[in-house]
Amino acid sequence: MQTFIQLTVSGLANGAILALAAVGFAIIFKATGVINFAQGSFMAVGAYMVYTAIADFGWPWPVALVFAAAVAIAVGLGTERFILRPMVGESAISVIMVTIGLAFFLEAALQFQFGTRPLRMAPFIPEGTVQILGVPLPMNRLVAIGLAALVLGAVGAFFRFSRNGIAMRAVADDQQAALTMGISVRRIFAMAWGIAAVTAMLAGVLVANIQGVSGNVALFGLLVFPVVILGGLDSIGGTIVGGLIVGLLIQYTAGYLGGGLQQVIPYILLVFILMVRPYGLFGEVRIERV
Amino acid sequence: MTTTGVYHTNYRSELRLRHTRAEQVRLWMAVVLVLLLPFVLSPFWLSVANRIGIAIIGAIGLNILTGFTGQISLGQGGFLAVGAYTSGLLVVRLGLPTLVAILLAVAFTAMVGALFGIPALRLKGLYLAIATLASQFIIIYLVRNWEFITQGRDSISVPRPELFGFVLIGDFRWYWPIMGSAVLATILGRNLFRSGIGRALMAVRDQDIAASALGVNLTKYKVMSFAISSGFVGLAGALTGHYRIITWERFGLNVSIEYLAMIIVGGLGSILGSILGAIFIVLLPSGLEQFAISVRGVFPQVTAQLPALQLATFGIVIILFLIFEPRGLARMWQRTKDYFRLWPFRY
Amino acid sequence: MRNTRIIMAAMAATALLAAACGGDDNGNGEAAGNGEATGNGEATGDDGEATGDGEATGEPIVIGGIFDLSGATADVGEPYSQGARDYVAWRNSTQDGVGGREIELEWQDYAYEVPNAEQLYTQFIANGAVGIQGWGTADTEALSGSITADEVPFMSASWAETLVDPSESPYNFVVGPTYSDQMRVALAWIAEDAGGPTEVAAFHNDSPFGTSPLADGQAYIEEEGLDINLETYAMPGGATDYVGEISRAEAQGAEYIVVQNVASPAAQLVRNLQDQGSDIQVVCLNWCAAELLIELAGDVAEGVVGVHPILGPASDAPGLDPIREYLESDGRSIDDIDTFYVQGWYTTHAMAEGLAALVDSGDEVTGANLATTLQTMGPIETGVSEPIEFTSDSHRGMSASNLLRVEDGRFLPFEEGVSP
Repeated sequence: MQTFIQLTVSGLANGAILALAAVGFAIIFKATGVINFAQGSFMAVGAYMVYTAIADFGWPWPVALVFAAAVAIAVGLGTERFILRPMVGESAISVIMVTIGLAFFLEAALQFQFGTRPLRMAPFIPEGTVQILGVPLPMNRLVAIGLAALVLGAVGAFFRFSRNGIAMRAVADDQQAALTMGISVRRIFAMAWGIAAVTAMLAGVLVANIQGVSGNVALFGLLVFPVVILGGLDSIGGTIVGGLIVGLLIQYTAGYLGGGLQQVIPYILLVFILMVRPYGLFGEVRIERV
Repeated sequence: MTTTGVYHTNYRSELRLRHTRAEQVRLWMAVVLVLLLPFVLSPFWLSVANRIGIAIIGAIGLNILTGFTGQISLGQGGFLAVGAYTSGLLVVRLGLPTLVAILLAVAFTAMVGALFGIPALRLKGLYLAIATLASQFIIIYLVRNWEFITQGRDSISVPRPELFGFVLIGDFRWYWPIMGSAVLATILGRNLFRSGIGRALMAVRDQDIAASALGVNLTKYKVMSFAISSGFVGLAGALTGHYRIITWERFGLNVSIEYLAMIIVGGLGSILGSILGAIFIVLLPSGLEQFAISVRGVFPQVTAQLPALQLATFGIVIILFLIFEPRGLARMWQRTKDYFRLWPFRY
Repeated sequence: MRNTRIIMAAMAATALLAAACGGDDNGNGEAAGNGEATGNGEATGDDGEATGDGEATGEPIVIGGIFDLSGATADVGEPYSQGARDYVAWRNSTQDGVGGREIELEWQDYAYEVPNAEQLYTQFIANGAVGIQGWGTADTEALSGSITADEVPFMSASWAETLVDPSESPYNFVVGPTYSDQMRVALAWIAEDAGGPTEVAAFHNDSPFGTSPLADGQAYIEEEGLDINLETYAMPGGATDYVGEISRAEAQGAEYIVVQNVASPAAQLVRNLQDQGSDIQVVCLNWCAAELLIELAGDVAEGVVGVHPILGPASDAPGLDPIREYLESDGRSIDDIDTFYVQGWYTTHAMAEGLAALVDSGDEVTGANLATTLQTMGPIETGVSEPIEFTSDSHRGMSASNLLRVEDGRFLPFEEGVSP
């Protein structure tokens, strides 16, 4: 029982962080149609920026977070303006490759600046263990779940209630119609990339708190793909569910089956889902016209 | 001569591989270059040339699938692994002669490709990319952990094959079968797209729904595309398996991305593009390394940070090519030819 | 028009041929590449041509260095390679090189990928290397056929048991006790510490490096009749945490975890154990039994036991003196380095001593002669460990390790010179 609870908490924590990263990915895809392979790198950039703000500049962590958010927004907007705008109208494979190229470049830049040694993030999430129902649970996981839930809630509220959020949903639904309603699609694209970069940064910081600041943060970002397939790209709720499922699945497999299977089980699940429901568990069917 | 176009007056001349004098001359120059290279290159560059040869075969395969048929595939590394392990295991466990093992590996990889092609029928774009990504991870997992394949060992070392009585040890001897296979692959690829099958594949890429309305059987041609492409890739994998020790690290996600980079930088939908892209991408890290060595005295940081620089250059090259010349090196070559052909006019 | 074209084509062809014929040079004389970069990629350090006595002036001897500076084991690979490179700089500038001849260390990062190692190896051989300083288990094993064919001694940082038998791999030399030896020492200590039947979980890197000592550990348990049940758990690369594996180990009832992995995943493991409130005793083999583990895990590392044959900067072993001198002359301090640096330093020292003996003997400096010299020259002193000695029957340089424990944030030895 204790094992089960520990695995569940750990899985929920990883899953919540994944959901956070996946939300950014989904925002970009829905609003601009771009498959952003650099989401993991955005996470790593965010983590490293917070690390360097705390460790090298000596700033307190709220300031560090703001700094990292600013850098993330700059990277996101820069990507949209200089790399993706020239790619409008190109085939899907070209857009995928351009984001892959960006991912490599960002990772290389981080490696150049910080080296490859894993670094310890100054823990601004309280460490230590709590006893709940007699089971020792790590504090930082619980706090991570809470923080991720908070941010996801904020993003959801943004989409539901704010003007810009509704405008973004309009663009995601039908670009032409949104343009005719006077929505500036260009601004929406920039906003989408900005929000995605910030959520990625937050996800990256949470991951780095748990496992240290290194290139592995970007690898964690690869799991975004099974999450968006499971959860579909059409709703925040779906993404959250998808993230939690993937996080829990990995931990349960590691805990009860082991043998490296946990690395590949999300992808096996993915293939099954795609065979049955090509647009994901919660996705909407796309209608294609010639 | 060709400024006003190439006109044929009979079928024979139209069916020739090279239409104009200039094209034929360049072809012969290329042939001479390929024949002379192993005699003038140092051993290090010869091994690079061998790697380029294998990469050409794989790149042509991937281009058939992605460039000509429009099916995104991130699972290249996995299929290379299938080809390598099949061929290696057939030789090591069943003792089959190398040539037979390679042919069987090609056929088996094609079958596996067709198998993966079936679920791909319903997927497009993002979903197809993610599904092929999944296939990449699943194949590598199997190859690393399935007892039947690994038998507890971490790598498979295939005994050196023999060809016409020569044992293939050393880059010089390997050059000939590798380049021969690359030439064969090029001719096959080129001819594929002069045939009806090739035209059907391109129709699938351009407008698959309209193509099916015109009578192109989507299922048949998509699966065929996966099969043919995987066959080429299986050949590249099988050659790798015999040329070097088989370890799973040769077939990871980064290899898949490298191959995609080759066809993007080279030019989607072009056999020449596959060749140019393969040469460019394989030379990039080695070239950077030589550059780092030569500037070591002045800029030691370059060597110290070489892996980061190689990665960064790889990323930047892809981005720049896609922004400024999305149709790749093949298009740049075409433009160069046109420039000389039409000079002093601009078009 | 047509003639112009033909002339241009001919010129292009000639240029191509000329370039091909002239371009064989791979750039010799590259590496004075010693002591350039510290861990942060800043170029510091002299080029091994500093002022001072004992400068080497003879014709340089080329050895190749295959290091991991950016791959899966880069956290320990980087200090190790720094130690190796600094050693060459120190040797060339203050110790008269090897018998008056300079050592030219050509090195590159191979990112722990076997294909890169193979390519680098080909390059080094083409540049005339007579010895190679290698790194990882997988690539050392992959290259063992080539080094035997090329007759080039290969000293790897990998201390896998399969590399020490000269009848199987006559050109592999392992300077330290093998991973299997360390595993045996660890198991013997556990048996003693437990004082009764106990469960042990072996957590290992998911690679040939990780699995290297496992079978031998199991065999040792049976040979010695130890009352230990050993289960193995792979630590997958790129995993965020090891909660799952720990849960399974706890389900097994494990009281001890032996870790055959590098420092970063081991540190993560130690922290995860703490998070889950576990009191399992961790025993680290040499690649996580050093300062880096403590740096990454923090206070949680208290009480971790380590197995390592080489004494690090925390001790005051006499072998640390030349390192201290060199670092100070270079504007650094011995506090900047760790045990892996010392390991790299003295592994390179073993090969350099072999080269020195070979040069002094007057025989031609070739790989085959170097191998013979290494086997016949007797013990090589290090001053931080037992002497390294190779014979024609065994390329296992040392057999004893030290048992260390983390106390007050440092690994301190509590038992030295333990042999399996």
